[in-house]
Amino acid sequence: MSDGSVAHRQIEEIGKAATPEDLRLFAGVRARERDAFEALYRLYHPRLARFLLNLLRRPQLVEEVLNDTLFVVWERSDTFRGASKLSTWIFAIAYRKAMKALRRLDEPVEDRDAEMRPSDGDAPDAPFGRHRTQEALLAALAKLSPDHRTVVDLTYFHEMGYREIAAIMDCPVDTVKTRMFHARRHLRRLMDGELTDWL
Amino acid sequence: MARILPFTMDPHRETRDLMPWLITGRLEPEERARVEAHLAACEECSRELAGERALAGEVAELPIATGIGWAAMRDRLDTAARQAAFVPASPPPPRRFTARRIGTMLAAQVALLAAAVTITLRVDAPTASYHALGSAPAAAGGNAIVVFRPDARESDISRLLKANEARLVDGPTAANAYVLHIPNAARTEVLGRLRSDAAVVLAEPLDTAALR
Repeated sequence: MSDGSVAHRQIEEIGKAATPEDLRLFAGVRARERDAFEALYRLYHPRLARFLLNLLRRPQLVEEVLNDTLFVVWERSDTFRGASKLSTWIFAIAYRKAMKALRRLDEPVEDRDAEMRPSDGDAPDAPFGRHRTQEALLAALAKLSPDHRTVVDLTYFHEMGYREIAAIMDCPVDTVKTRMFHARRHLRRLMDGELTDWL
Repeated sequence: MARILPFTMDPHRETRDLMPWLITGRLEPEERARVEAHLAACEECSRELAGERALAGEVAELPIATGIGWAAMRDRLDTAARQAAFVPASPPPPRRFTARRIGTMLAAQVALLAAAVTITLRVDAPTASYHALGSAPAAAGGNAIVVFRPDARESDISRLLKANEARLVDGPTAANAYVLHIPNAARTEVLGRLRSDAAVVLAEPLDTAALR
């Protein structure tokens, strides 16, 4: 029996929680198929880039950490045992690598330039009020700690449950709930004027 | 039907703590039943939920993106492969131009359709300030719009939605468009897959906040 088919069978056994697309590609990664890895890379790249940019706030660091993360997925695919979803495993690697990179920088994690930096998402003719709200929210997020920012983004953008977030951040579920509560309170206080526009 | 278990802690506090995952539909049935029962009786928590929904929508639609890509990783793999002298580098897959050419030809039509759809939605879109509690699960709003071919079969549409974890939120509109909710993290890829499907005429992201 070839290594490839063993990998496929293992994946079938362990990966019930992941999506079929994840599993199919990951089986290929285990069989050392470069095409499968490229497809998995492209599948995860957008959400990891968003996750890491929100957490790290430094594009040049995002590229490094993102590629470090997916390189681990390629090199250490045998260490995924299926105790969690594949996405949880990959996000947990990314989170650990990102926190390590932040500690290595050994500088304040607050982004002092956030309010000066133009957002690249909206066209110049986007409605003024909406643009202002997004700028204010980006600035407010930048004032949160990396952990608080991470919980907010994993909850509202990546739509993950608190148990999954706890697994990624390697902390108790109550810590996730507490971080989320404090982050929400800070955001809503920092967004004071804007909030009334939303309601 | 979920059995409603009593709160093990202060109901305000548990409701307050779990609210974000009520909004994204990520609570266990028992938790959801408890939180919704409390919300039905507590005006303060209901007000807080409305504010929280607004915050959730804004965070999900924040334009955070980078321009980094596969090229750097490919170089790294090549270096590692050379060092290990195990894995031969494979040539990049052949490019496919067909979809792009068809896409260009359809661009004008698509733009017109999208404009019609947007206008229709602007008129019809509910402000969603109130949510009935205890009825349907807290559904996230639509974030994509799709027009199927007139001869598309129900089984094709159903297969497409299931395969892509997309849910029907609204429609058909006057322009025969459907509003879908697609998991935010996968929206770009899912829209790409929908566009390449023979049963789909148009699949575009929908910025719901712009409709408010």
